[in-house]
Amino acid sequence: MIITLRNINKTYPGAVPLHVLKDINLDIERGELVSIMGASGSGKSTLLNILGILDNYDSGEYILDGKLIKDLGENRAAELRNRLIGFVFQSFNLISYKNALENVALPLFYQGIGRRRRNALAMEQLERMGLADRAHHLPGELSGGQKQRVAIARALVTNPAIILADEPTGALDSHTSKEVMEVFRQLNADGMTVVIVTHDPGVGESTNRIIRIVDGQITPQNA
Amino acid sequence: MLDLIREIGQTLRNNRLRTALTGLAVAWGIFMLIVLLGAARGVVNAFNYGAEDSSNRISVWGSYTSMPYKGYKEGRRIQPRTSDIDAIMHDNPNVSSVVAFARADTAKIVTSRDFITGLSAVFPQVESSDRLTMLYGRFINTPDISGLRRSVVLHRTNAALLFGDEEKAVGGTVSSLGLAWTVVGVYDHDWRTDSYAPYTTYKAITGYSNDTYQLDVTVENMSTEEDGIEAERIMRASLAREHQFSPDDQSALWTWNRFTDYLTNRAGLGYLNLAVWIIGIFTLLSGIVGVSNIMFVSVRERTHEIGIRRAIGAKPRSILAQVLAESVAITALFGYIGVFLGMVVLQVINIFFGQSDALRNPTVDISIAVEVTVALVIAGTLAGLFPALKAIKVKPVEALRDE
Repeated sequence: MIITLRNINKTYPGAVPLHVLKDINLDIERGELVSIMGASGSGKSTLLNILGILDNYDSGEYILDGKLIKDLGENRAAELRNRLIGFVFQSFNLISYKNALENVALPLFYQGIGRRRRNALAMEQLERMGLADRAHHLPGELSGGQKQRVAIARALVTNPAIILADEPTGALDSHTSKEVMEVFRQLNADGMTVVIVTHDPGVGESTNRIIRIVDGQITPQNA
Repeated sequence: MLDLIREIGQTLRNNRLRTALTGLAVAWGIFMLIVLLGAARGVVNAFNYGAEDSSNRISVWGSYTSMPYKGYKEGRRIQPRTSDIDAIMHDNPNVSSVVAFARADTAKIVTSRDFITGLSAVFPQVESSDRLTMLYGRFINTPDISGLRRSVVLHRTNAALLFGDEEKAVGGTVSSLGLAWTVVGVYDHDWRTDSYAPYTTYKAITGYSNDTYQLDVTVENMSTEEDGIEAERIMRASLAREHQFSPDDQSALWTWNRFTDYLTNRAGLGYLNLAVWIIGIFTLLSGIVGVSNIMFVSVRERTHEIGIRRAIGAKPRSILAQVLAESVAITALFGYIGVFLGMVVLQVINIFFGQSDALRNPTVDISIAVEVTVALVIAGTLAGLFPALKAIKVKPVEALRDE
């Protein structure tokens, strides 16, 4: 099991506390291609943030790749995000003044890898995404699909245990969405575990398992 | 480290206008600091130059008593005498020399070309104590004094006036006090233009009077204001005894205690220097506040970017280091531009005004450059510290939402 969630609860404090996740239990096998679906405000993004060690949970237990993810310090959380997780976001989240190669190489910078080695590894991933010829282009010079493939290359460059994608096709047209989903399927076929948060049924149907979340709870048949 | 420098370079290039405006504030602050420090140094140098060799001197001129004393009425003329020299030296072992001056303000010095007025009768020590620069020939020497020679030393402008060419004056003859005098030297000085003759010759010509126009008393081993006051008190007591006036009668003699003046001026220049540092540092501080402000804006503008970096593995200390390094880089880079421009301006000032009475060598030395370097690094770190601390408080999940 690469991901195990046991009785995860998350409440946002405020004048009226918001109990966003309620006793979430979830297992994801290594090599799965899973989608998490739910309506807006259902808690799916909060769940993704917890899975991605971007946010803490209040109670329960989360084990990622055999490591208990609980009460981590900022440095340890950053290290685990860097080594275990590859993020793909709806709005690509590329740094605008860095070219494709530099964007892809950035996670390796935080591992302390030298520039030459970083660039070689980043170029490998861009070649894998069919973007070698766009390596020195800025994000503003790339199409939406190309940007998302650069983001996927960045997610893969550290050879993570899991790819977490948050609405990866949300900013793309239908044709490009299909291309991007094909990339995810290919990655999964190569053995990568991919978890996609989406509200797009088409995207959900193209994954192997759909986890539905309603009002902060996973519906029983998906747990 | 090289990677960090590249990252900083890329960030600064990406925000050229912001970087340039911030840098301008820092460069201006440092520029002002350097120019002010250099100018203050120039004033101090000019003061030290003027005070050199004479800061331990007390000069005495004649005056009138203001109180009766031992049967003498007030209003009596007291004139220093050459015979006072022995008494002054005897009463204070710290007195290393006493030199008498005689002066004839109306004495004409004439050639066939023109005439000048004013003659100082002096001893050879005056060449160094008045900081005269001999251009041609020599100054009054011991044989002139002992042989009662009619030798005269002229200022270069007077030599040119009297002989047409200052170089031709040495060996020439002038007429003064009804006698012929030989020009033995031509000197230069910023503001002195007196003609100098041997003291003994002048006294012999003018009637061997024991009175003298002025006494210059040089006192060693003075370091505090109290030392200077005490030396003057002892000298006044000696003269009061010799001339029978009250030691408390301040009007009986005119004195100029250059040592206490020197200390007072030096303290004043110390305050000037301090004021310059304070003004400069506050000017610099305004630049630093500008940098800090811009870094806050930078952090705010880059919240999303910081979120991305945090999400893909940047540790808080990496973000902290980057913001601090950017701040130090801006401050140091533009600070040095300010240092360079400030030094160029000081050099220009030095070329045109650097040898004047009020300003001498207005430059900053290597120690100032080192101090400014340290100040720049500290300033840059301080300017970036609070924005950097703000940056590391950014939660990745919140920052990624911030677009």
